[in-house]
Amino acid sequence: MKNDDKPSLAARREFLSKLGRAATCTGAAIGAAALGVMPNVSAKSEPAADAGSFPTKDYDWSKHQWGFGVDATKCIGCLRCVEACKRENDVPVNAHQFRTWVERYVHLEDDPEVHIDSQQDPVNIEASGSEKEFRFANRYKDAKVDKAFFVPKLCNHCTHPACVQVCPTGATYRTEDGVVLIDHGYCIGCRYCVQACPYGARYFNEEKGVSDKCTWCYHRITKGLQPACVEVCPVGARVFGDQNDKQSPISLFIRNNRVQVLRPETGNAPNVFYVGIDKEVN
Amino acid sequence: MPKHIFRLVSLILGLLVVAIIAKPFLTVDSFYRFGHYRANSVTEIAAQEPVLQTARYCEGCHSARHAQWSAGSHKSVTCEICHGAAQGHPQNGKLPIPKDAVKLCTQCHEAMPGRPRTQPQIQVAQHSSGQQCTVCHNPHSPKIAAALVKVAGDAAAGKQRAAACASCHGTDGISPNDTWPNLAGQNAAYLARILAAYKSGDQKDVAMTPLAQALGDAEIQNLAAYYAGLGCKSAPGKSAAGDAAAGKALAKNCAACHGETGGGSNPAWPKLAAQKPGYLVNALKAFKAGLRKDPMMAGVSRGLSDTDIANLAAYYAAQSCQSTK
Amino acid sequence: MEPIIHFAPYTGWVYPNETVFEWSVLIAVYPYLTGLVAGAFTVSSLYQVFGFERLKPVAHLALLTSLSFMIFVPTPLLLHLGHPERAFNSTITPHLTSAMAMFGFFASFYVALLMLEGWFAYRPFIVEQAQKRTDLLGRFYRLLTLGSYDVSEHAMRFDRKWIFALAVIGIPAAHGLHGYVGFMYGSLKAREWWSSDLMPVIFLFSAIISGVSLLAVLYVVSCKLRKITVDLACLKGLAYTIWAFIMVALVLEGLEFANIVYKGREGVDMIMQYVTGPLLVPYFILQFAIGAITPLLWLSYMIWRGTTGKALVVGVTACACLVLFSVFMMRWNVVIGGQEISKTGKGLLNYHLPFFGKEGALVAIALTLAPLALLFGLTRLFPPWADDTTHAHS
Repeated sequence: MKNDDKPSLAARREFLSKLGRAATCTGAAIGAAALGVMPNVSAKSEPAADAGSFPTKDYDWSKHQWGFGVDATKCIGCLRCVEACKRENDVPVNAHQFRTWVERYVHLEDDPEVHIDSQQDPVNIEASGSEKEFRFANRYKDAKVDKAFFVPKLCNHCTHPACVQVCPTGATYRTEDGVVLIDHGYCIGCRYCVQACPYGARYFNEEKGVSDKCTWCYHRITKGLQPACVEVCPVGARVFGDQNDKQSPISLFIRNNRVQVLRPETGNAPNVFYVGIDKEVN
Repeated sequence: MPKHIFRLVSLILGLLVVAIIAKPFLTVDSFYRFGHYRANSVTEIAAQEPVLQTARYCEGCHSARHAQWSAGSHKSVTCEICHGAAQGHPQNGKLPIPKDAVKLCTQCHEAMPGRPRTQPQIQVAQHSSGQQCTVCHNPHSPKIAAALVKVAGDAAAGKQRAAACASCHGTDGISPNDTWPNLAGQNAAYLARILAAYKSGDQKDVAMTPLAQALGDAEIQNLAAYYAGLGCKSAPGKSAAGDAAAGKALAKNCAACHGETGGGSNPAWPKLAAQKPGYLVNALKAFKAGLRKDPMMAGVSRGLSDTDIANLAAYYAAQSCQSTK
Repeated sequence: MEPIIHFAPYTGWVYPNETVFEWSVLIAVYPYLTGLVAGAFTVSSLYQVFGFERLKPVAHLALLTSLSFMIFVPTPLLLHLGHPERAFNSTITPHLTSAMAMFGFFASFYVALLMLEGWFAYRPFIVEQAQKRTDLLGRFYRLLTLGSYDVSEHAMRFDRKWIFALAVIGIPAAHGLHGYVGFMYGSLKAREWWSSDLMPVIFLFSAIISGVSLLAVLYVVSCKLRKITVDLACLKGLAYTIWAFIMVALVLEGLEFANIVYKGREGVDMIMQYVTGPLLVPYFILQFAIGAITPLLWLSYMIWRGTTGKALVVGVTACACLVLFSVFMMRWNVVIGGQEISKTGKGLLNYHLPFFGKEGALVAIALTLAPLALLFGLTRLFPPWADDTTHAHS
């Protein structure tokens, strides 16, 4: 994100240094309190305000309401989605920070404990050869497996997102078309949102100094493409579409299946719908 | 009110006013336009360029590959899964052809608890003895379709029709000539596939093309059934041109499909044991030159020298045709 | 510089993104400093508002302590930010649903209030210095007078009213400030260890005991440095305050823990495994047994026996140090402990505290001690000593 092309930001920074000095004075502090709660009185013209659609001239966000489906019964754990996502979205190349990841749940005979692992597991890192590639180690091939399945995970793009609630600046928000985004040019990097997400969907990008997470590939879906992970899934375990369109893949997915969401008790109201997950999955 | 109190209150009020006036100046332009965020950031995010380009992008230049891929069982495995993201291609150079097919293919096809039953899975250690998957499978259309062709011909009817073939391939399917193949005991599915290819023009031969074009589909089945049913009587032959021992080393690369000694029983592929060495040499050269078309054989014959071909032919010619290995 | 991320080792099942500890030791230092501010201010208001005369020797010291710690409260937060230069974004466009956005306002309001309170309390002294001095410092004092040397009885009556009013506003402000810090953690439903209605009150009471303890230590140390005798009545007053509030703090923490265990919601197995494993020493032994129960018993004994003299001074100082340590452990166990229990409720992580680096132990220690240096400077400019005859006390 370049600040250079936003003169207002530069001007603001100048003001900030002045304000910084002023803040040590008593009154400014009280003043700041008042200005914060005051509604914005600026009536500045919007330079990029086309009369037409927003956010781009070919895409009108008021006409869409996106949704995502995961059919865990189809997932084969090949992790093509994980690699595609890292590539598409410039996610740090390591086996610990992800916009999307896949979990494996394994029940063994005579063992009440469920065994869960994902890409950050040392055994899986070893199997893939490096932290740049991803692979599930075939660690249970000689075990007596009762039940096993894979579950793809990503940001749930909740209707009532806890992360947006706690963001102090408004650097993360929910768009009109139902996608939770992060403004990398405005985020201060406090990581309160990382703590607030019950799904572990957010991580902190050390290099950029900002929080990051799945955007449902907003730059793709606004151009009529599928999110990268959906695009590459070879078995159709990931479904994406417009919930406003009753014949879209996601609408059919929701209508034709008994879907569930993760951690409904948090009240976040996720928009990623799951089929075929087990009681341990949250 | 004492002077100092008045001044203090004025100072506080002054700073408050300054802060209130400053607030709109400090707020970036598009903030609050739709809500508590910078509206321009939505446009900025939407404006990012996609990295993955989708198969439709590839189709423009690689239409033949695209057609083959989209007709096959790998049509859900998009180009960029194996070849990487196409952003910047072709301007910035070629996309990679995966070197280690075993590593790549087993990401999806290694038998693993948790994978749904419908997913084709293999025991990697036992499946190909370490050979690359692409030796047998065409990654763009990996299903080995010919193996599934059932030959249901009438051998007796085939015998009658075979009279026309006897002059070249011998009355008992053992060719009298070094350049024409033996047919006795050959896999029926393979025979049927090759005859059909001559008939359709997929494969061309001065002698065979007109003959095959005269055959009906049922007759092809009958002939294949007849020759496959003949006992193999040809004695292992000798070739002056090649070194069978050197050929044996090379033949390891062929074993996955054709068997260790060329007696492989997979009906999709021909038996090679005790085949005519001259014919084998011609066939391999034809694959290498692209005169005979087969994606698998084109790949494996590409690296063979004329000496290698002669050695391989000598090796297979010297094997017993009773072998099923 | 290459950013170095430390991936935390873990047991059980944790989300991949959780293997990076996002809130480091600095975020444990931050509520610690805020707590000291709130606690110290409590002492000053006990004297100013509630007329605890015996606390007079520390009343002004409490104000200065509060102010110097408050000025340093934002530093651990700023150091921790990914983009400190954007920090004011949360003040210019504060998100009203965010507990953190309100921090800027609570904090700056409170700094302002402390400065005003201090200004009124020291105004006679400032005026006196402004008239007496001719050096650079004199100009500083003259600036502070706002050009009015009026210390008439009429003016002083106004000042006393303001001091009282500010102290009355200050009590809810100080406690609100710290209660809100607790709310920042307590309102997060993602973490079972934090998500509690009691969290704000627990933070508040531990804040009070830490601030009072800090003052007790500072007072005894300042007396030793200035070679004067410790006012035992004053010290006893501080000891009573610690004693009373430590019980409330203990009860609240006990209730909170009992609630988690008794409700036994999803993930409680992991919490039990955690508190009886990695947390056994820092939580039960360091925070409770050594840091809270020991001073409580010791103080009770001294009050019961009517201990006085040197034994009282040593005893109260030692207890105060223990409480200071206990409250830091409490902050640590909340901030770091909360992140060591995975959000999955099925695994535990292990925080690694680096010594060097932006978020290392060295910086944390420096930030905790820096306010003391500022306080030392402030006591030179504005002597808080009640026994000092040069200082006209209000």
